[in-house]
Amino acid sequence: MLESAIRVAHLSKTYNGKVRAVEDVSFSVLPGEAFGFLGPNGAGKTTTVSMLTAGLIPTSGRAVVDGVDVFRDPAAIQQRIGIVFQESTADPDLTGRENLELAAALFRVPRAESRPRIASLLDRLQIGDAAHRLVKTYSGGMRRRLELAVGIIHAPRVLFLDEPTLGLDPQGRAGFWQYVRELRKDHGMTIFVTTHYLDEADAICERLAIIDHGRLVAMGTPSELKDRLGGDVVTVWTARSDAPVAAVLSAVPGVVSVTRQEEAYRVKAPRGESLIPLLVDACTRAGIGLTGVSLKRPSLDEVFLEFTGREFREDEGATATDRAVRIGQVREAFGRGRR
Amino acid sequence: MIREFVALTRRELLRLGRNPGAILTSLLLPVLYLILFGQAFNLQNLGGGRVDPAYFLAAFRGAPSYFSYFAAGMTGFVSVTATLFIGANVIFDRLFGILKRTAATPAPAASIFGARLVAGSIQPIGLAFLVLGLSVLLGRLGLSGLEITASVSPLGAVEIVLAVVVLSAMFAALFLAIGFSLEQPQSYFAVVNTINLPVLLTSAALYPWGTMPPWFQSVASFNPITLAVDVLRENLFAGARSFYPYGPEVYLLGLLAWAGAMFVVAGLLARRALAPRR
Ligand SMILES: Nc1ncnc2c1ncn2[C@@H]1O[C@H](COP(=O)(O)OP(=O)(O)OP(=O)(O)O)[C@@H](O)[C@H]1O
Ligand SMILES: [Mg+2]
Repeated sequence: MLESAIRVAHLSKTYNGKVRAVEDVSFSVLPGEAFGFLGPNGAGKTTTVSMLTAGLIPTSGRAVVDGVDVFRDPAAIQQRIGIVFQESTADPDLTGRENLELAAALFRVPRAESRPRIASLLDRLQIGDAAHRLVKTYSGGMRRRLELAVGIIHAPRVLFLDEPTLGLDPQGRAGFWQYVRELRKDHGMTIFVTTHYLDEADAICERLAIIDHGRLVAMGTPSELKDRLGGDVVTVWTARSDAPVAAVLSAVPGVVSVTRQEEAYRVKAPRGESLIPLLVDACTRAGIGLTGVSLKRPSLDEVFLEFTGREFREDEGATATDRAVRIGQVREAFGRGRR
Repeated sequence: MIREFVALTRRELLRLGRNPGAILTSLLLPVLYLILFGQAFNLQNLGGGRVDPAYFLAAFRGAPSYFSYFAAGMTGFVSVTATLFIGANVIFDRLFGILKRTAATPAPAASIFGARLVAGSIQPIGLAFLVLGLSVLLGRLGLSGLEITASVSPLGAVEIVLAVVVLSAMFAALFLAIGFSLEQPQSYFAVVNTINLPVLLTSAALYPWGTMPPWFQSVASFNPITLAVDVLRENLFAGARSFYPYGPEVYLLGLLAWAGAMFVVAGLLARRALAPRR
């Protein structure tokens, strides 16, 4: 058994000598793991996927996928991996079935295997009825499902998905991920996925990396990443008063930070639910009248904004140093001390 | 290799078959040339019968009429006009991501290139024989037509087929080479238009050989279209051999040299286009 399905070391790509799309990226993905690769538009996700799938030669660095050095033997890599590209790549002048048959032939899937597999893919991805229609008559969602089918026709060991569910309706997305889950269960397939739907990443991925401006800025399990935000947010609404509310709240043990938004105070702390009674207590003792309390667990959206964020900064009350420190901690945690 | 090649060739043929409009359009050019240009352009009528027929026989290098000379030339003409679009298909396939998808499979570049080459040659080969058939038919209908005055030997027939096949494949390779090296449709058409006219107009496909200045004859004799259509003319017209310095096999060899060089160049360009990007 391989130690890692994907191993990336100091991978960089500079386009045309100027655009630094990916800079010194290193990470590993375990066999059978679902690994999410998140980042804003232009962060370098597609560039990374292209390099890991032998489509693009890196400027420097190394990538080993399923035990094979990606650039030493592109054909061997291509046989082992499946790709669902960000954009549509199916042939619009062929039918869905013909596209699948062509892909099966190009991956040399024995006919005895490809026939039942095509039938089951068409069925599972609900293309069945349209299989005999030219792809140019397909809706965007049908095309997307066909792209997935084409990408896994040869039962790849590692599957790269570049924003696979873009433009799918909620049912389509649910069906898609359901199928990917089954593939993982039945074949132990490793999944490397980029997506802007963070709820999907949260639900599917065991681990995530966040890339921004070509650099990894965070990596960990979804809950680790959420914890790094300082945990949950308890919002406390007070009646108008001159009392030093922020100071009172900050003094409660376990509170990480307090920020004020008019009559509301956002209290960050791990395990916010057990903090609520303490906060209420402290306010009562200080004579502060409360009008409401709410608890919010951070979502991956907040993690994403925190690490790549361009918005909501004031709202979060995090200062630039705050953020730099946190990113520094993340970097240390992963043994890379640069920026 | 074989299975990939067969599957990719099937794909090309399926697409061709789904585009009857393109097939009909490609028929239009040779048919119009034969039923309009060929009917009107009766060079042997110049001089109103006062010119010695032997003069025309020499000018047409043994062909009994200008139409007969020109009909053989048209087979070369269509090998260009019917392969033009296959390079454009490469460009559009790149724009649609299809090329990227194909390049991401382990299919060898040779099978990807070879399938397009073979599928792309089928239409011009078919058209060339259609031109010959229609030209003979026109003659039978009492119009200007192709008169085959020699009795074509089996070897001659093989040479004719080879000439048509090799010429078509050569131009298919040329246009594939251009298609694999460029990314924009407009640059493709700009390059192709720049190449087309010189290639067609330096050949002996349409001009009577005897009316060309000697320097032009030297240029034209190296043109692949000339090499191919001369293989036809030498075999189709009785006594033609006396008007040619070499036998048809020599021209066939010259044509093969052109085609071989073109296959190598185009194959390398295709391989480069399908390799990982830098
Ligand atoms: N072929 C190219 N030539 C030059 N620059 C490029 C090329 N491809 C991508 N880039 C640049 O590299 C950077 C990273 O692009 P990339 O496509 O990897 O981003 P991404 O994370 O996939 O974004 P998105 O979420 O929008 O898909 C961008 O600044 C982009 O403009
Ligand atoms: Mg992208």
